[in-house]
Amino acid sequence: MKTVQRLLPFITLIILVVALSIATPHFLTATNLSSVVRQTAVFNIMALGMTLIIISSGVDLSVGSILAMGGLMGTMAMSKGQPILVGVLVGILTGGLFGLLNGVLITRLNISPFIVTLGTMGIVRGLALVVSNGLPVHEIPKAFSYLGEGTVLGVPFVLLLLVVCAFLVHFLLDHTRLGRYTFAIGSNQDAAIYAGIPVKFHTTAIYAIGGLLTGLAGMIEASRLMTGQPTAGQGYELQAIAAVVIGGGSLRGGEGSVVGTLIGGFIMGLLANGCDLLGINPYWQQVIIGAVIILAVSVDELRKRRAV
Amino acid sequence: MLLELKGVQKRFGGVVALRNGDLSVNAGEVHLVMGENGAGKSTMMKIIAGLYQRDGGEMKWRGESVNFANPVEAAKVGIAMVHQESLLAPHLTVAENIFLGREMSNRFGLVDRGAMFDKARRLIEEHRFPLQAEWKVERLSPAGKQLVEICRAIQHGTSLLIFDEPTSSLSEAETHEVFKIVRTLRDRGTGVIYITHRMDELRSVGDRVTILRDGETVHSESMSTLSTSSMIRYMVGREVAALYKREPVTPGAELLRVHNLTSPPSVKDVSLTVRAGEIVGMAGLVGAGRTELCRAIFGLDQPSAGQIWVGGEQVSIGSPRDAVRHGVALIPEDRQKTGLARELPISWNVTLAGVPSKYGVLQHGIEREITAKAIERLRIRCDSGAQKAGRLSGGNQQKVVISKWVSRGAKVFLFDEPTRGIDIGAKVEVFEVMDELARQGAAILMVSSELPELLQVADRILVMRQGRLAGELPGRTTQEEIMRLATLPSSGTELEL
Repeated sequence: MKTVQRLLPFITLIILVVALSIATPHFLTATNLSSVVRQTAVFNIMALGMTLIIISSGVDLSVGSILAMGGLMGTMAMSKGQPILVGVLVGILTGGLFGLLNGVLITRLNISPFIVTLGTMGIVRGLALVVSNGLPVHEIPKAFSYLGEGTVLGVPFVLLLLVVCAFLVHFLLDHTRLGRYTFAIGSNQDAAIYAGIPVKFHTTAIYAIGGLLTGLAGMIEASRLMTGQPTAGQGYELQAIAAVVIGGGSLRGGEGSVVGTLIGGFIMGLLANGCDLLGINPYWQQVIIGAVIILAVSVDELRKRRAV
Repeated sequence: MLLELKGVQKRFGGVVALRNGDLSVNAGEVHLVMGENGAGKSTMMKIIAGLYQRDGGEMKWRGESVNFANPVEAAKVGIAMVHQESLLAPHLTVAENIFLGREMSNRFGLVDRGAMFDKARRLIEEHRFPLQAEWKVERLSPAGKQLVEICRAIQHGTSLLIFDEPTSSLSEAETHEVFKIVRTLRDRGTGVIYITHRMDELRSVGDRVTILRDGETVHSESMSTLSTSSMIRYMVGREVAALYKREPVTPGAELLRVHNLTSPPSVKDVSLTVRAGEIVGMAGLVGAGRTELCRAIFGLDQPSAGQIWVGGEQVSIGSPRDAVRHGVALIPEDRQKTGLARELPISWNVTLAGVPSKYGVLQHGIEREITAKAIERLRIRCDSGAQKAGRLSGGNQQKVVISKWVSRGAKVFLFDEPTRGIDIGAKVEVFEVMDELARQGAAILMVSSELPELLQVADRILVMRQGRLAGELPGRTTQEEIMRLATLPSSGTELEL
């Protein structure tokens, strides 16, 4: 029974796939599946960073804004004549820089992550609009579209990117000191301090890594739209948080996993896709996804309460 | 007779806080209630004030059996309490706090702020307290908050007032003001119950004294006929349970030296040394500054003066990280809050202070070995190292916390109340672990409020009183000696160094 409950997100995902395959013949087609993968890749990569942050008992509300800023800076670099690879790197590093800023503000000012990132959400979005004068960047080399739309041996390139990022974050969480400290800080920050763990340094690092991943997601988004949009990524922070939480992450910290987050992300992606295919009013989609979040977390809470 | 308690009992789950509480208080007397930490004094007072309900026994108010369901009911007959810890609403004003829950209302049933503030102002003036009715309570010092508590109690407690260690956070002048208030109230015919640890306070305020020990009233007598020494004997009188007695080893090199350490406001000019193989006990009353001393040595608080040597070298410890690097370990008082990551596996807790890694990559194999060794060495009873640490019993949780430092190879151990909340069997196991550590060359400083425990384990015992070292006693001293040092002014002649 316990195992069943722990595997619930995974089982839900399977059931969704099976149900959608039966319900509509358009679901299990290569075109549709690769479209789902492309759609979900952006916030799945963001959600990987959010997984680290949430395990450390934090939260990052500014990822949507950072995504826009990363995409914007990357495409602006390209429009100024920089090679594609440099542009992508600029986008990723911009994300990392603002993640770092979040981490520094949280640890040095000793303000809760919720408040700090609520502030930077506005600041970064505003800066993106200021820098771009509110206008999207269009002068981008054609080849840049490969990042979001290309395939390798028939597999979407973004899926490969997602898999690589997932492996890296999983390795970081389970096999590095930083990952261990992430769990320790999230589970009991005081105990971590008492154990001599440099909590501030590692907290900052976690937000910076989240920023790097968000920067990458921003470049993918820009590539898919072939524009650098200062207004991109609005509301994505909630998608990312939802993916982590559906996958078993706890906002109280100390819990969460890469596999869980990916499953959570795909559940949300499939729900959206299924609603589209079945012709369900997009207004109802929001209702359904909201209900799924509450359902997933309450089942998880029930499991934990019984386990104690 | 104002108040009478007979055989009052109170349990919290399986723990008996009050077994057999007797107390009688007359109108117009100051009645002292004394006892060691955990003797049941505060529990008894909270029952009288309606904060707790008794599980058994009798309570009579002016000869009639009563049962207060809440503090408001107790206040209705004229009982109020000044609490040890502040139970005020920090964001409200002084006046609002004085009338909290008993707001004055005008004829429309609305809160009459004007009348409340007027009355509060008069009350503050009458006693010349350094307060303003409009001040927000959060801005007050602990002493200021205590004064608000006292105002609140005077305002509502017209027949019986309970002071639970009111002067522990007050200055000399404020203490005198409190005494004056107490005497004025007594002369007006109010009954006063006064809990204190400080012997020097007793004679100047008390008329009668009731002594509690292990949840039981053991003695009640007039203050004028009871000698200080017999008072101490009644307080600690029980035989020391001969469960465990450590055989001291010959101490080796000096591993910890603290010189003139001052960490405001709780630690004043403390000097001490602990040598390899030694277990040095640290006794004192709650609030004597023992935990704060540990915090200062461990880098959690920044001392304003003083030096620390570890292993013969002077060190500067600005954070726990520095302390850990120098081989200093703290087993904190509050295990759940600061010692243990409950949701994480035992093994992760064991290696929390030094997870084996190479270039930042964890070495899981070595970690498993370390965990297995720790579980065996400290006899941690668990299914496996993968079990969540929070699922273990209190004693085993404590062993996990200790193992964190053993695995790290710490040399100086600061144990702050290491046996709090763990059962007797596990206590002995914790002692054995401490003994083993000492035998292998560790220096141990052990803070404990349980005197029998200190006598069992410590090679010598330091006593703190109001932030200062009050003296040092050999390991074979008595509870009476410790209590005397912990409570008497340090200028007394009974100081034996």
